Amino acid sequence: MSSNLAIVVEAEPVFEAAPDKARHSIVWTLLTIVIAALLLFPVVWLGAMAFKPDDLMFTRPTVWTFTPTLDHFNYVLAAGFLKYLGSSVLLALISTVMVVVIGTPAAYAFARFELKGRDDLFLFILGTRMAPPICLVIPFYLIFTQLELLDTFLGLSLAYLTFNLSFYIWVLRSFCRDLPVELEEAAMVEGYSRFSVFLRVVLPLLKSGIVSTAMLCFIFAWNEFLFAFMLGGNNVKTLPVAIPLLITAQGVRWGEMAVVGMVALVPVLVAVFFLQKQIVRGLTMGAVKG
Amino acid sequence: MSTLTLGAYKRRFSDTAWYPYALVAPALLVLVLVSLVPFCYAAWLSFHSVEYGQVGEWNGWDNYLKLIQNDRFWNSLSVAGIFMLIAVPLEFLLGLGGALVLNQRVWGRSAWLPLLFIPSMMAPIVVGLLWKIMLAGSWGLLSHNVIERFGMLPGTSIFASSDHALIALALVDVWQWTPFMMLAFFAGRQALPMSPYRAAAVDGANAFQTFFRLTLPLLTPLLVVIGMLRFIDAFKIFDSIFILTSGGPGVSTESPSILAYKMTFEQWRIGESAALAVLVWLAFFVLCNVFFQVAKKRLNAF
Repeated sequence: MSSNLAIVVEAEPVFEAAPDKARHSIVWTLLTIVIAALLLFPVVWLGAMAFKPDDLMFTRPTVWTFTPTLDHFNYVLAAGFLKYLGSSVLLALISTVMVVVIGTPAAYAFARFELKGRDDLFLFILGTRMAPPICLVIPFYLIFTQLELLDTFLGLSLAYLTFNLSFYIWVLRSFCRDLPVELEEAAMVEGYSRFSVFLRVVLPLLKSGIVSTAMLCFIFAWNEFLFAFMLGGNNVKTLPVAIPLLITAQGVRWGEMAVVGMVALVPVLVAVFFLQKQIVRGLTMGAVKG
Repeated sequence: MSTLTLGAYKRRFSDTAWYPYALVAPALLVLVLVSLVPFCYAAWLSFHSVEYGQVGEWNGWDNYLKLIQNDRFWNSLSVAGIFMLIAVPLEFLLGLGGALVLNQRVWGRSAWLPLLFIPSMMAPIVVGLLWKIMLAGSWGLLSHNVIERFGMLPGTSIFASSDHALIALALVDVWQWTPFMMLAFFAGRQALPMSPYRAAAVDGANAFQTFFRLTLPLLTPLLVVIGMLRFIDAFKIFDSIFILTSGGPGVSTESPSILAYKMTFEQWRIGESAALAVLVWLAFFVLCNVFFQVAKKRLNAF
């Protein structure tokens, strides 16, 4: 059985060429549209809420048409959310760069070399990815208090390494394994050292894998809430952490929450259009090549 | 470059047996620092009394005993269990169904696919916020137009009802993760070899036979791996519960992560929450080990 199963992941060309496959079916297309509409409608509604005037928001029955207003955007700008946006971008960038620099050589080594105890090391790496963040945030909080790393970009990007570095190594390794080893062998016959093989042959070939995996790491850092909430503060406050700030003593600022939610969605939308195949691979930890 | 002698070639560090370890070392060092060290620290804490953030003296298994005598601990496990048992099977079945739909002759499929990723890639906190708006009190789009109109929950809103809040949270999870299941299964289905299907068509197999005798067995390893990944993830749920119910009403949606958070940062019972963290961590390590073995054996993927 298991020899068959290797085929599951080694993608074969899709059998699209046959004449009966070429015709599209209206029923299935409509069904797909219904599924997509059901799934995406709440997101569209969130977008609408960002522009909906406050006096029409809480009406019963629901008001479907309205003149869009920028009030919520203005409130959010006045409340200093640009700073939180900046922190979000900066933190996600720092942690992603750290992950790429540290993780790329490791992913390559795991894919290419026989390391002693490789499976155990790999299990350890998977374990760091899977551990519930709440288990880490408690010791982190106490350690960071002692080291004065609370509420700093360095501290938070270190914390983000716990999930992103292991993720990056795990997924990039599956990209490395797809590279033909013959190219590296040829380069070594040419007299390249192993390290220059890595720099001049492997890295250029891995470029798209690195970029797409790094973009996913960026999104995970961008989306992260618990670490940023507990280990951040007034210096480092990211957008997800700022969202609950809009639940004020005077009530919930619904429209403003929708604005921040939509802004937080932007990198996700970008990633979704550029990275569809890598997302499947990423979210399944490399188990499906997409 | 190409004229290097064998002697010069051998002297380079990158061609020694140490080289691969040097490539891996920084990453391992970092991972040890950011995850093994905190774990050991949490384990060490869990055997001490901690008062007002000050680590006191060694108190053996006290924290663990207090924890297992705490009803909220067992409650949180059952909350997580119910949550996983509602959410994951639903996601699984809906995802499988969706994948089969996508696999048909759908027009413009490559245009639909990226849109479907959106829910699964959204920040969980934004997902929570989105459903807070959809299900808000008396005016939310769904709470007013569906739940109230059809008299499903008279006199209460869904997150204020301790019988229904957990189900609602599980359904939010279903909304977020079904598309992911769908796309993962679809990708797996697309990667299946074509020849058995041609053979089945020649033999006159109908759609049901093809699905149950061919697609399902061929996809099983993938289904197992992805199902396990979802179970592991669902157990950790924090963000969306935090913003939607904060564990309430009462303790009806208090997952282990929420409980640990409250113990640490609201009640300052750090020793006990460290013990909880260690227990959860160990459970995860066992789960991951099983996952790793299954994935490796069944899928040949890692």
